[in-house]
Amino acid sequence: MSDELVPQPEDQQLLARSQAGDMAAFEALVGAHRDRVFGLALRMTRSEADAAEITQDTFMSAYQHLNDFRGDAAFGSWVHRIAANHALMRLRHRKVVQAAEEELKGPEFTERGSLAEYPQQDWSRDAEEKALDAELGQAIQQATDRLPEGYREVFLLKDVEGLSYEQIAELTGDSVPAIKSRLHRARLALREAIDAFYNRDHRVE
Amino acid sequence: MYNCKDSINLLMDYLDGEMAPEEAQHLREHLRGCAPCVDFLRTYRATPGLCKKAMAQRMPQEVADKLTEYLRSKIKSAS
Repeated sequence: MSDELVPQPEDQQLLARSQAGDMAAFEALVGAHRDRVFGLALRMTRSEADAAEITQDTFMSAYQHLNDFRGDAAFGSWVHRIAANHALMRLRHRKVVQAAEEELKGPEFTERGSLAEYPQQDWSRDAEEKALDAELGQAIQQATDRLPEGYREVFLLKDVEGLSYEQIAELTGDSVPAIKSRLHRARLALREAIDAFYNRDHRVE
Repeated sequence: MYNCKDSINLLMDYLDGEMAPEEAQHLREHLRGCAPCVDFLRTYRATPGLCKKAMAQRMPQEVADKLTEYLRSKIKSAS
């Protein structure tokens, strides 16, 4: 994510032209950032229709506030935060069937606090490979869907979208320690799901 | 001396580099003698990257076209 934190020279030029009213320049900015905005909205809302609307609202808000944007940060990070805000607002208006927190799985420990099950396979290297096994991808998406809403949001905003704890706190109104605690539990649950996937594979072989 | 549970509870702070030196020292001591926790740490650290890959999305062309159309009509009517 670090490349998106600093202003990109191309964006800076397009931004200056957009601020001067050049519509083609603004459309080029939209073209460069729409996939990321749409991706965030789709992951957060899990609805293509909602994601399309959030993307429209995000770029419309960006356009309306173009002259407030000073350009000391990256344009991409700025629209990304606008999108996160729109997506969260939409989720708050939705009545979501909450998964219970007890359903969050994590590692199991013995009475003495030792790991009850030792990992059988070290799959950490697979994260470095370019392509991801399609079935694993599906298992991860399902596991993410099973997370209680507040945990899923924090995980998506931090680990997938790359926002900072402070930015998430500002958007959600939650404290940084609360966000960190939820993120850790979400990661543990997802790690568990990935581990179960690999071990299932192991047994089938 | 930390056990596995204590260590795993602290993994995120450890990876974020936000741990008191003394706590980090206790954690490292546990990791030195506990291979399962070292494997756990590796897979915990790999989890966000794998999930990010699994959740990559691109905007369908049709939606992109509608977006351009929407912005053009909105901005035109506002100016």
